Amino acid sequence: MNMPRAQLFLTCLGDQFYTSTLQNMTRVLERLGVEPSFPPDQTCCGQPLFNNGFEEKTRPVALNFMRAFAKSDAPIVAPSGSCVNMVKHYYPSLFEEGTPEYELAVDIASRIYEFTEYLVNVLQVTDVGAAYSHKVTYHASCHYLRELGLKTEAKTLMNAVKGLELIELDEEETCCGFGGAFIVTYPEVSCSMMENKVKDIISSGADTVVMCEPGCLMNVAGGLHKEGAKVRAMHIIDLLASNEDPA
Amino acid sequence: MSAAAPKYVTFEEYCKRVPASIPFAVQQATNRFVAGRAARVAELSEWERLRQTGSDIRQHTIENMDVYLARLEDKVRAAGGYVHWAETAEDANRIVLRIATEHNVKIVVKSKSMATEEIGLNHFLGTAAIEVIETDLGEFIIQLAGTGPSHIIVPAVHLRKEEIAALFSEKLGVHAPADPTELTRIARELLRTKFLNADMGISGANFLVAETGTLVMVTNEGNGRMCATLPDLNVAVVGIDKVIPDWESLTVFLKLLARSATGQKLSTYTQFITGPRRADGEFGPKEFHLVLLDNGRSNVLKDPIGRQVFKCIRCGACANVCPVYKNVGGFAYGSFISGPIGAIFTPQMGGAHKARGLPYASTLCGACADVCPVKIPIPAILRHLRRRVAQGDAIASSTMPLAIRAAASLGSFALTRNRIYRMGTRFLPTLMSIFNRGGWISAAPYPLNRWTKSRPLPPFTAGFRKWWMNTRLR
Amino acid sequence: MVDEHALALMNRFSSMTNSVLDNIRRSLGRTVETPLGQRPGILEPRVSDSLDSEIEGFFDEIRRLSGVGQRLHPSAIDFALQTLVAEHSIRKATVWETPHLGRLGISEILGSLGVELVSPNAGKHEMALCDLGVTEADFLLPETGTLVLRSSAGKPRAVSLLPHIHLAIVRPELLRADMHQVFAEAKDSNYLVFISGPSRTADIELTVTLGVHGPKNLYVWMMEE
Repeated sequence: MNMPRAQLFLTCLGDQFYTSTLQNMTRVLERLGVEPSFPPDQTCCGQPLFNNGFEEKTRPVALNFMRAFAKSDAPIVAPSGSCVNMVKHYYPSLFEEGTPEYELAVDIASRIYEFTEYLVNVLQVTDVGAAYSHKVTYHASCHYLRELGLKTEAKTLMNAVKGLELIELDEEETCCGFGGAFIVTYPEVSCSMMENKVKDIISSGADTVVMCEPGCLMNVAGGLHKEGAKVRAMHIIDLLASNEDPA
Repeated sequence: MSAAAPKYVTFEEYCKRVPASIPFAVQQATNRFVAGRAARVAELSEWERLRQTGSDIRQHTIENMDVYLARLEDKVRAAGGYVHWAETAEDANRIVLRIATEHNVKIVVKSKSMATEEIGLNHFLGTAAIEVIETDLGEFIIQLAGTGPSHIIVPAVHLRKEEIAALFSEKLGVHAPADPTELTRIARELLRTKFLNADMGISGANFLVAETGTLVMVTNEGNGRMCATLPDLNVAVVGIDKVIPDWESLTVFLKLLARSATGQKLSTYTQFITGPRRADGEFGPKEFHLVLLDNGRSNVLKDPIGRQVFKCIRCGACANVCPVYKNVGGFAYGSFISGPIGAIFTPQMGGAHKARGLPYASTLCGACADVCPVKIPIPAILRHLRRRVAQGDAIASSTMPLAIRAAASLGSFALTRNRIYRMGTRFLPTLMSIFNRGGWISAAPYPLNRWTKSRPLPPFTAGFRKWWMNTRLR
Repeated sequence: MVDEHALALMNRFSSMTNSVLDNIRRSLGRTVETPLGQRPGILEPRVSDSLDSEIEGFFDEIRRLSGVGQRLHPSAIDFALQTLVAEHSIRKATVWETPHLGRLGISEILGSLGVELVSPNAGKHEMALCDLGVTEADFLLPETGTLVLRSSAGKPRAVSLLPHIHLAIVRPELLRADMHQVFAEAKDSNYLVFISGPSRTADIELTVTLGVHGPKNLYVWMMEE
């Protein structure tokens, strides 16, 4: 039987801010018998440009991305629902139907997966053998939840983590206020939204909050730090790589 | 009771100084609506099919709007009503004023109408010494306060009962306790007199049924019925986008509307008015006028993506779930129509001076599209409007910090040149380490200072590529 | 119906008619000749349950909406009216002039209870002084607890609107499964109103208050012979 292969898409925020999460992504995949590869020519999916109306400027970035990942036909796996959504749902719309670029975009879109989606729906794994004896809550990131429709995957994986007690937020599905450029376009509004999220997390009584999105993670972690809260914000990959078993 | 034109500021100005009481009041109200809606939706197994049908019929109506409007006009006239076409807000105001002056109107009672908010009718009639009284309780309150509505369904949602009581005491000269029941009773008595003595009723419409020329009006209080029943003269000012094909279609929208808006199965009163009264000895207006308002709508129809905004049935569900709306309230949107739907409506309607920030007033979280009863893809339309802005369309001017706009060009350049990107990846951690304080960057340079003034940034680590080379490529 | 000045008014603005419709057509890429597209179909309407459960469902909804509904035998109507008049100290009432209400002798009973009757065709000021308005309904919708009233001479719309208390005397055969059927039968009406519960507002801090403009109390009596 062939070993499953996966091309790692770091995402630009992952690349800049979350080195250890990306290392953990590699390790978890390897532990599950996947052979990861890393195309070094990747940069960013172009979503920040696309979401702010710079469609023309997005196109070359998308082409760069597609070329980087077209060298292998292996599935592409990323630690971000938002970036995956960009590639999966919007890349084809950037190119004229019938052109080779369009065909490539459709091909790439058909084989890109968010990390938990890849585990649960492609590898069909729900227990990765992690242990983390804490009260943990979960924030559902918007594009992960609504555009990719991943409603159960993260929680399925979390529930299988040994020792983990899952506490649900009152407003699990409410946006944290990140929104890409929104955070610097309307910092005051973004801050109010973040504060609501942080309040909800703190009042849940959990000591850890987990999410599947580097952008939300940066926002919420920063908010918790500013609030002086003793709650750890964690990417789900780091949770799944955890082997923190008091026993 | 004079109707001052409401003052609006731009979104970017407003959200820098949102009164602290607004998010609290708005969240309290919208959370209740969200729960109510969810309960009603859960009762109806065919909800999703109903939404799809509603969406399809609205789309069809937009694409054939001229036919349905022409049919509507014929039917209203056949029923003995008058139809007026108003190309602009000014036309509409002048038409209504002319009708009023020709009938020597002194007192007008008005039922909630977003179209008249849009054209500033109260203010216009006020300058002609005609007294216009808003009769929806919420609208009555904000008329006393001299502001516009902050929510489509509950216009005074931002005000607490204490503030309303103070307003009643000050403006009406009555002793008003901070008790909703008592305040409502005071308003009822005062407005009852106005209803009985008004010369003219003005209303909007929720739907216009082309098949029979019927105006459909949905209210809970009964003020809409009063306005359409008691005065001898009735004028409805309605946007051309409110037309629907027929009564079969209407069943779909009535089932969607109240459930989405207030979590009711139906609102208390739904009235269906076809022309003036037919029978002697009956109540109802002797004369019925319908003013069909364009005011930029026909121009919006040019854009196949943007025009989907006209599918809207004005339920307010998108605002109720919108985390941005919940933190800034309705005034931030600079228009009578607020929340996500306002963010796609107002910029397209040509209010560039006040709407320039609106296409960006969203995190594109998608909660609005999930609840929209007619499936308007609001995030996609926001993105589309941003595209029109970036392409130099005059619908709005960009409000993003200059650095972000420059960054877009720079970004596109750097992100397509792998060596530059990788150089940056190596360079940034060192550069940004200058700002690192105890594992966090709490004061970053412009434009990231807009981020770090509210919460710190994690440090730039950017070590994966090197780690991969050292451990996996060895 | 059309009088002189109104016609003149219409003509004054008729030039605009074409320009709005023309602009719409231009924006949509259509012409006067472009045929109307096919309207998408709608969902199949709701189907009735058994009569008993329809009546029960109807009353459940009325109760949920803060109305009062009850089944009533015609022989009990004297007593029911007597109770209602006493409970609300009703002094003035107005009653639709319909054969059914006539047969039930509503006006006579009210008169015998000392209630002053105001003609439903009286002016609005007089009608506004009534404590009670009695109507029938033309249709009933069980799913939403809705009374459907068509207005005409003898059945004026103000009777269900101006008095504090609205009493609707209805019959089981008026029940329809869905508004779909109601519209099919009644869309040619001059004025039609759906009434689902008493007048309500939640405009002040979302506190529900009844009777803001319309009736504060709604009674629905279903006559069963």
